[in-house]
Amino acid sequence: MRELPQKEANLFKQILKNYELKQYKKGLKGAEQILKKFPEHGETMAMKGLFYSHLDKKEEAYEFVKKGLRYDLKSHICWHVFGLLYRADKNYEEALKCYTQALRIDKDNMQILRDYSLLQMQLRNYEAYIETRHQLLELRPQNRMYWIGLAVAYHMMGKNDLAVKVLSAYEDSLKDIPTKPDYEHSEMLLYHNSILGEAGDMQVALDHLDSIDKHVCDRRAVREKRAQYLMALDRYEEAEAIYRGLVKENPDNFAYIEGLQKSLKLYFPTTTTTSSSSSPSTPASAPATATAQEQEKILALFDELQKLYPRSNACKRLPLRVATGEAFVRVADAYFQHSLRKGVPSLFVNIKKLYADSDKEKACEKLVLDYEASLKEHGRFDAKSSDSGEKEPPTALLWTLYYIAQHYDYTRQTDKALAYIERAIAHTPTLVELYMTKGRILKHAGKPKEAMEAMNEARELDLQDRFINSKCVKYMLRADKVADAEKTATLFTRVDIADPLNDLVDMQAMWYSLESGESHMRQGQMGKALKRFHQVEKHFFDFTDDQFDFHTYCLRKMTLRSYVALLRLEDQLRTHPYYVRAVKNAVQCYVMMVDKPEGCDTKEMEGMTEAEKKKHRNKQRKAELKAQKEYEERRAQIAADPTKKGKLDEDPEGMKFLKTEDPLGEALKFLRPLQELAPNRIETHLWGFEIYIRKKKLLLALRALLKAHALDANNETLKKQLLRFAEDVKAAKDIKPSVKAVIDNHWATLYGKEAVGH
Amino acid sequence: MSSNGTRASSHRIALGDINPNNLGQLKRINTVIFPINYQPSFYKDVLEVGEFAKIAYFNDVCVAAVCCRKDPTPEATAPHDLYIATLGVLAPYRRLGLGTALLEHILEHAAEDKKIGKVYLHVQTTNEEALAFYKKHGFEQKEKVANYYPNFDDSDAYRLEKVLVQ
Repeated sequence: MRELPQKEANLFKQILKNYELKQYKKGLKGAEQILKKFPEHGETMAMKGLFYSHLDKKEEAYEFVKKGLRYDLKSHICWHVFGLLYRADKNYEEALKCYTQALRIDKDNMQILRDYSLLQMQLRNYEAYIETRHQLLELRPQNRMYWIGLAVAYHMMGKNDLAVKVLSAYEDSLKDIPTKPDYEHSEMLLYHNSILGEAGDMQVALDHLDSIDKHVCDRRAVREKRAQYLMALDRYEEAEAIYRGLVKENPDNFAYIEGLQKSLKLYFPTTTTTSSSSSPSTPASAPATATAQEQEKILALFDELQKLYPRSNACKRLPLRVATGEAFVRVADAYFQHSLRKGVPSLFVNIKKLYADSDKEKACEKLVLDYEASLKEHGRFDAKSSDSGEKEPPTALLWTLYYIAQHYDYTRQTDKALAYIERAIAHTPTLVELYMTKGRILKHAGKPKEAMEAMNEARELDLQDRFINSKCVKYMLRADKVADAEKTATLFTRVDIADPLNDLVDMQAMWYSLESGESHMRQGQMGKALKRFHQVEKHFFDFTDDQFDFHTYCLRKMTLRSYVALLRLEDQLRTHPYYVRAVKNAVQCYVMMVDKPEGCDTKEMEGMTEAEKKKHRNKQRKAELKAQKEYEERRAQIAADPTKKGKLDEDPEGMKFLKTEDPLGEALKFLRPLQELAPNRIETHLWGFEIYIRKKKLLLALRALLKAHALDANNETLKKQLLRFAEDVKAAKDIKPSVKAVIDNHWATLYGKEAVGH
Repeated sequence: MSSNGTRASSHRIALGDINPNNLGQLKRINTVIFPINYQPSFYKDVLEVGEFAKIAYFNDVCVAAVCCRKDPTPEATAPHDLYIATLGVLAPYRRLGLGTALLEHILEHAAEDKKIGKVYLHVQTTNEEALAFYKKHGFEQKEKVANYYPNFDDSDAYRLEKVLVQ
């Protein structure tokens, strides 16, 4: 059956070409022509399905491909097509299975092997990836990409020596080394060198760097690396010379300046310790602290750099970290005066890290309060020089007041902060930043509604500023004014789409999803809330997926250092605070659904009787129905408007999530990446416990408790969970003896020795 | 421009257009400086007069504004007058040249507009500082208008005008 007559065989070759050239409609026609004569030709049927999938008919696509496969189970083409279909739907696990089948039939098919290896990389299946790459390399030893891919895989697995071996072998096999600058060759050599650097033998890395020097295009990278290696080899003077050159080229690069300091043995990560308030005399021998003499030297170095590079902000700012005592007052005074005169809105943000040292905090406070008094009196920062020199611009007082308000806000002296921000507003009522800070102070004071009003005032002063608009939306959501927030947010979304809120989803505005989800949660609307948190999950899924094309692109373009950086970033992606927040909220929602299937209490329901609560819920349900009706009407309206693109949300209430059969399983899906990536966060295990205990998985709950206990035995949530666990164990009737034994084994760890007899 | 001794390096004056997006700032300035509550129609007109309404920035902060209107004329060809409805600078920013910059801008553009015959305005009779400011810029004090600002204690005003030489 597989063999087609000459004419149809040619036609089949033609449709394969059509697919490669993305001529899907043409290809589909060809396929149908063959199928007319040979309706049971599996490969053609599969191809027909593939064309359908590219013509946006997913369901039919699967149907035809599966049918094709049934006609011809022994065809690698059918399996390959099936894999492609899954791959297009981002179902990589299933795709991988199909490719395995295809390769069983045709083990040396280059095309399939290549696709196969991409999936393995995407799924970080390094062992299998290496095997596939070896096979490809044996088939085509002259292909550069196969060599490099293999090296990257070894590198990612931490097998640096093998990675280096592969690269060296490839480099040796090169017949003509490019004599002209060749970017791709240069990147490969630098990549090779970066692995040597990571491997840790700095002399080897340095020698290699010297040997490739003349082939490398990225000259700055060579200098950075050389300085780094020289430092590690204690060759300080040579390193210093390089860092001086780098600083000259970019005197605002903190890393270069730090490098220079290190080469002069004048680098201290920070001279301040967070506990300095409690222990005024930290031992001078602490390694992170500079001695008075060293401090003087560092400050002298920065004086020198400032003279050389008067426009460098870094050279002005870094001395603030180093200096202490009187020296700090001196450098801070200069920095403050310069910034307040110039009007640097971010001044406080630049300074606040220094507040970890309470002496510095006090010094800053004194400086700005003195400025305020002196500016009011004489129009100058310094009262002593009041009769000499020019007066400061009135904006100097404005920015000083602004700073003081932020200072008191940061130190949570709300009344003072508010008094100062009002003073600043009275001075210059047009400055947007002042109202924003007022909003922030009120937020910290626990007044979300007033905070929102201040933020809206700020917004109304500058309607074209998207940043302040978004801030205002966030504050509206904090005050649970979801409708206002949506209206305000959509001032900046595309006007030509049916559902403007969808534009925020398209732009992956996760802050919005989280804030609005949290607001719905506070209002007891779990469906809507979960919808937002799943949205965040989807964004992270997409970020992970976005790397797929780079597995080919980066190898082809040889941007290997960036490629490895990308892979490492992707591996850590879900430790991002936005993801963690989504997990926390989603777990809470799902747990709530299990605990209170009738709907949970919201703030306004506090103190109601059961009957009142029921009435309240009925009222809410009615409101929901009304909203649903309005939504349907709007949808009909928009459907009739030809200028609007895209679809309306099918499920604005998030019913899909409310109706899930397995809320705890859904919660677990959110949590799993954290269990893998963030095992050192206590929350990971606290949240895990809440899920497992409800799933009646006592051993998993126990494990979560043990892990949390090891991280912080005094955690308040953990203490409550321990009580609950003990109760549940006591109440459970039919614990298997083996399970009971494990629990007994760990009981003392969790509850102390005397508590053994539970 | 800065003759009164502030640091020249941190003394930047710039004029800007008024548009629907920054109208809030103009309103804020007028509300703080003038004890008159201007109607929405006033601000609607401001958006239509082009160069005859401006805000001024001092070191990038919006601190002053001028709003004018063109008086309607019976015939299209007749010269019409330009009325300065508001010209104000926030208190901390006075005597820094912002008012002069705004007024000079208005006078320059009025002179370019051949249809404008003169520029005029009203000042409270007791506001000597303002009277001196306009006289310095070539305005002549005209008749006194009794009870021009009915809501103020000092309700009388002088009319000041400057005839433009064509």
